[in-house]
Amino acid sequence: MPTRREFLILAGGALVAARHALAQEGGTAAPASAGQGAAPLGATNVAMDPDSYLEVRRPPKPGATPRLTVAQRDELEHQIACACPCVLDVYTCRTTDFSCGISPAMHRDVLRLVEGGYTADEIIAAFVDRYGERILMAPRKRGFNLVGYVMPFAALGTGALLLTAMIRRWGRRGATALHDGVCELPVDVSAEELARVSAAVRDDNEDARA
Amino acid sequence: MILIGELSLWVALLMAAWSATASFAGGYLRRDDLIASGERGVYATLAFVALASAGLWTAIITSDFSFKYVASFTSSNLPLVYKIAAFWGGQAGSMLFWCLILSGYAALAVFSTRTRNRELAPFVAGTLGVVSLFFLAATCFGANPYERLDWVPQDGRGMNPQLQNPGMAIHPPNLYLGYVATTVPFAFAIAALITRRLDGEWLAAVRRWALLSWFFLTVGITLGMWWAYVELGWGGYWAWDPVENASLLPWLTGTAFLHSIMIQEKRGMLRKWNVTLVATTFFLSIFGTFITRSGIIESVHSFAQSPVGNWFAGFLVVAIVATGILVSRRLKDLETTATLESMLSREAAFLYNNLVLMGIAFSVLWGTLFPIISEAVRGTKITVGPPFFNTVNIPLGLLLLGLTGVGPLIAWRRASMPNLKRQFAVPVASGLTTGAMLVALGMRDAYALVAYTLAGFVTGTIVQEFVKGTGARRRMHGEGVVVALGRLIARNRRRYGGYIVHMGIVVLFSAFAGLAFKTEHDVTLAPGEMFEVRDPYGHQWRFVSQGISRDAKLNRIITAIGLEATRDGKPVAIVTSEKRQHVDSRGFPTFEPSTEVGILESAQQDVYIVLAGVIADETAEIRISFNPLVWWVWFGGGIMAFGGLIVMWPSARRERTQSGYVAVMRSEAEIVAAAR
Repeated sequence: MPTRREFLILAGGALVAARHALAQEGGTAAPASAGQGAAPLGATNVAMDPDSYLEVRRPPKPGATPRLTVAQRDELEHQIACACPCVLDVYTCRTTDFSCGISPAMHRDVLRLVEGGYTADEIIAAFVDRYGERILMAPRKRGFNLVGYVMPFAALGTGALLLTAMIRRWGRRGATALHDGVCELPVDVSAEELARVSAAVRDDNEDARA
Repeated sequence: MILIGELSLWVALLMAAWSATASFAGGYLRRDDLIASGERGVYATLAFVALASAGLWTAIITSDFSFKYVASFTSSNLPLVYKIAAFWGGQAGSMLFWCLILSGYAALAVFSTRTRNRELAPFVAGTLGVVSLFFLAATCFGANPYERLDWVPQDGRGMNPQLQNPGMAIHPPNLYLGYVATTVPFAFAIAALITRRLDGEWLAAVRRWALLSWFFLTVGITLGMWWAYVELGWGGYWAWDPVENASLLPWLTGTAFLHSIMIQEKRGMLRKWNVTLVATTFFLSIFGTFITRSGIIESVHSFAQSPVGNWFAGFLVVAIVATGILVSRRLKDLETTATLESMLSREAAFLYNNLVLMGIAFSVLWGTLFPIISEAVRGTKITVGPPFFNTVNIPLGLLLLGLTGVGPLIAWRRASMPNLKRQFAVPVASGLTTGAMLVALGMRDAYALVAYTLAGFVTGTIVQEFVKGTGARRRMHGEGVVVALGRLIARNRRRYGGYIVHMGIVVLFSAFAGLAFKTEHDVTLAPGEMFEVRDPYGHQWRFVSQGISRDAKLNRIITAIGLEATRDGKPVAIVTSEKRQHVDSRGFPTFEPSTEVGILESAQQDVYIVLAGVIADETAEIRISFNPLVWWVWFGGGIMAFGGLIVMWPSARRERTQSGYVAVMRSEAEIVAAAR
């Protein structure tokens, strides 16, 4: 590993280089004028497939009145994934960076269903019918999906049990070794050396508590 | 220069192959000439990769569009800083960038073994050579930045606007520096396994490398969050995107290793576990790269789908199998006879800390892969987004935060009840007081309350540790508070630097909890119209539209809205949010319009304004969000990085005497020597 001096020189050099590079940002003005042509290589920020939008439409319920507040509608849109590749929910995507044409269309579908008197669960069910379960930001907590939710906690619980059992086993082994008067050590040391190490251990613990 | 660079890439490949072969052969045959040649091969690899990199940078800066990479990721009017950053902005360039960092680290690691760890040195050089060989081969054959086009376009496609941000110029290199640094501890672990020198020696050698990796990953992740927040415009900084998760995974296992290494250093325990953690961290960094580059999982951050993903999948499988076989053949050597004396000991606390860190790592990995698993099992595609990860990880994260405060309060080996009572009194009181105050102030969000209560507890722990340490120094040496505090940290950098990192974690979690109180508002404003709203703190805000402006600047056409913001009747600022249409040097649009967020930043909250679009008559659609405590995310990340720097700051050349047996646990041989 580098010495302190080498470390300082390297760090200083990196900082100077980074600062210099950032200072360049505003200094390379290039002529830019409004152009009309298409992007030369068909570039988009995120590859957009217009066919990924599927209209979700249901006839309005008789005498329909909206049953969701704006806040509830926004919350609902947080649960529906935008069908574009942004991996954001509809609410978040429709005013973000991606100039997405799909999330506004999905938002309009949600508005239409809300105005048609549908509840949040019914609207979600309508979207799942049309797109499949992938349209939900998180899988529903049922069936095989439960494995997804339970597994991390099951793994942690299993790990905790194993760890506790291991610690207890270590504890018993340590106690037995001490009881027998033969404390197993990773190295072959004399009683005097062991005493010196033990003293150092005590010092360290006291230092830690100080 | 470009031609030299192109040729150098292939020579570097040969050099890596030679350094791997000669080093392993030299190590097994114990031939010093081969070992030395292998080491020189590592240095030569660095030299040729550096030449290859210089060649690519030259091609980019001189806008040589005969190269597919240059034409795909730059344009002639791209600002210089982003031309430099374009080196790692695309698949092939970033592969070469990875090779550059890897060969640099390899040379540094080999250089560091010229006087130490000579038994390990050939196998360290050999392992690094093999990994370098893989990356260089994947670059040469899978994603070569020197691939030429059949024709030379007039201008390049330009850089994705979202990448034209200082955060993007800085955060990938930091992440790469972190990812790649995991290779060196892995190489030392492999060398230790091969040579059966599995005592403390290899651990002492890799600790700083593990810290270096952790430091850069911390900085890279924090900068990545900042970039996402200021550039992507969705109002958050962490979306549990697969590529974000991929950067978090090695950070989590690396953090677990930095804790468990202390148990091996102090007690000689956890040898198998530490080898496993080092290897897992390396595998996860490769796995992250595989996710980013294979296109196997959808992500806004990932590179385009590429066959190079298959290379990574193959390498990952081979590396895991080879390491597994090696570890299984050394299980006896990895046995330890030291024992844990009590569940109430710092060792046990560290083990539980490891358990939770690994639990979080598992849940992140599981969530990332669950769409693939679900599709394989049920044939149904699902999305696993933030709601899933928050459901699973918030409780685990809070558990981890609690353990952050518990560990330092418990003595090594065995803690007595009186000792525990004495140690826990102040931190527990601090936590409970914090929680009670927040309830009294009207906070009702359960997770936030638990988070702030735990934050109060951990802060109490850290402050207590510093106060006790400083007090002890003052009593022993008669120093003033500032001098005592400075020397306390300087002479015990690992411990107190670690506490500073813990403080950063506290700040970070407190900031995360602040998002529970985030509010968002969608408004449509014509020039002169206003919108009034109350923020989460109860302040009354008014935003008045100053109208839309249009301007051409650098390589973009800007549509901007200015909002005059007043808080409780007092003018605060005019906040501007932009839509940018990037164009090439001929003025043709290159990408879809992107958003430049207007942020009114303060320690209390960010007012986050996004211009969503402009409709007729200069009427703007705007989203206004109040994001509490976001500034503290960056500050917390900074504290963590600062703490990490303190921990890994190189010692002066003199050998400092550590307290107790800590210093002599580097190797068993040294223990015996020291004891005698």
